[in-house]
Amino acid sequence: MGTLTDPIKNKGLAVFEDLPDSRLITQLNSCVHCGLCAETCIYYLATGDERMIPARKVDLVASIYRRYHTVAGKLFPAIVKARDLDDDTAGEMVDLLYGACTMCGRCNAHCSIGIDIGFVIRTGRTMLSNMGMVPATLQSTVDAALVSGNNMSIPKEEFIDTLKWMEEELVDELNDPQAVIPLDQPGKRVLYTLNPREPKFFPLSIAAMAKIFYAAGESWTLSTRMYDVTNYAYFSGNINEASVIANRLWDEMSALKTQALVLAECGHGSAAFRWESPNYLHQKFPFEVMTSVEWIARYLRQGKIKLDPSRIKETVTLHDPCNLVRNGGIIHEQRYILRQCVENFVEMNPCGSDNYCCGGGGGQLAMSEYNERRIKIAGIKADQIRKTGAKIVVTPCHNCVDQISQINFHYKLNVQIKTIAEIVADALILP
Amino acid sequence: MAWYQYLTLISLLFCCIVCLMHLFRLIRLGSPVDYATPGVKTGPAIAYSFTGAMSPVKKESAYLHLPTYTAGILFHLGSFLSMIILAVHLFSPIITGFLSWPVAVFLFASGTCGISILVKRIIKSSLRNLSSPDDYLSNILVTLFQLATALSLILPAAGPVYFVVSAILFFWFPVGKLRHALYFFAARYHLGLFYGRRGVWPPKPR
Repeated sequence: MGTLTDPIKNKGLAVFEDLPDSRLITQLNSCVHCGLCAETCIYYLATGDERMIPARKVDLVASIYRRYHTVAGKLFPAIVKARDLDDDTAGEMVDLLYGACTMCGRCNAHCSIGIDIGFVIRTGRTMLSNMGMVPATLQSTVDAALVSGNNMSIPKEEFIDTLKWMEEELVDELNDPQAVIPLDQPGKRVLYTLNPREPKFFPLSIAAMAKIFYAAGESWTLSTRMYDVTNYAYFSGNINEASVIANRLWDEMSALKTQALVLAECGHGSAAFRWESPNYLHQKFPFEVMTSVEWIARYLRQGKIKLDPSRIKETVTLHDPCNLVRNGGIIHEQRYILRQCVENFVEMNPCGSDNYCCGGGGGQLAMSEYNERRIKIAGIKADQIRKTGAKIVVTPCHNCVDQISQINFHYKLNVQIKTIAEIVADALILP
Repeated sequence: MAWYQYLTLISLLFCCIVCLMHLFRLIRLGSPVDYATPGVKTGPAIAYSFTGAMSPVKKESAYLHLPTYTAGILFHLGSFLSMIILAVHLFSPIITGFLSWPVAVFLFASGTCGISILVKRIIKSSLRNLSSPDDYLSNILVTLFQLATALSLILPAAGPVYFVVSAILFFWFPVGKLRHALYFFAARYHLGLFYGRRGVWPPKPR
């Protein structure tokens, strides 16, 4: 006797009903099972496990669609491999769609047909979310954000204390009492966001960005009510929860009457907010939205900040966060910045929109049940880093920083890991 | 017209009607409304999706698998050519002019490519485990269609077999995975739209 009752199954199958456009049925009817996507996936490359070929993951979702929505799937399911949505199928979906995919989208661009595989995976995750089958660890991260306002449940007092501490450091370093970290100040030009990992584990990255804002003479503020740029519901597949989280930043922009929202270095947070939140909320941005990478590049182009590359003599390489680069189009700005702030910049191979995922995306860092698999697939990134000979790895994503830090430890790479803001702050010529 | 030509006509009609239903559904559902559209022109990205992005220079699944990619291209060319020939054959006598031999040779070659892809599917465990009976059936039908077309060009007596094979193919076409022939265009359109809106495609020079 299965545990999936008809009402639960119907909640999962609802993703195939009332389609808003032709995107989903296109993807579900297109795969020819050529298997040429296999080598684009870090899970397959690192493990050789055939279940992890992207086409297999697509087929999990497509086979259910075929079973309930195609004539062939209803009449002769065995011939077209149409599957019932039952406990076995749902269990396999949880393992492969949550536990064996970082939603990096590398398979999309190289699919021989052109299937948006990441979109199919996300649809599969939405099915599972509708059925209440999100891995508990990932759901607890989402719940933390929903309940406390940030995914690490950092109390407001602790957050303010950390910022005040960073402010004191900044004032000391710059020897200027005006070098402050403004909090909840309405009417400023910029509202800056943070990844909660920054106040919790990497407060110096906040100080780095504050230093850049100071050097550029920016009018900016942080919010103590809503600063979290992340949106793990984007990964769990629960669109309602993703909308609630995204809406808070919209509301905070309105409350503080700021003109531009600058998204902290967080790949999925940037993608979820910039590219998905307008669709969650069915409205266009009434304010400017930019990633901090673009914002810093703009400062450089406008001559608002100047950098001294001679200060950083070590070889530096760049990891491309999938959601910022391949799925977000921010490909050249970080390179433009790095070429001005370090003497010796080397690319990974492959790089840019073809770069491999670090293995920490798709909510993997939040799902401890897949830790062993996550570290194993990261061997590909470790090899890439090692081959560059770099001593510093820069990546504009705190999630990637976390994963690469663990890679650094596990694969004994002996590298430093920095964000763009941190390396720019190191090379910054102060006015 | 002989009975087998009528049979092919009926199957072709069935195929066209079902494919048109798929097409109308795609058109009715339309493109996604994207509130995050940054105002860039997506036309070049969609064009790139159908051209540069599919080239073996850019597409990893192509340049890592050049023999399969080449066989796939020839197999598809053979399919298109066979369909054109079928359209001619349905309404006129079987062509036996000077062109029939080179065309037949090409179709034998493209059919052989189909066989090679089928063999790969059978012997490679990752592909075998991924495959459904539909994958084998579809490949066999298209390969037979090409070989039968080639045979009919050099041996008009093979006409009845040729038309019966064609009829079976077109009955299966919109039911099984061969309908990707229609959805392929929609998939590349959507992918171009997605990457175009986000400024990823077409790639910009560094």
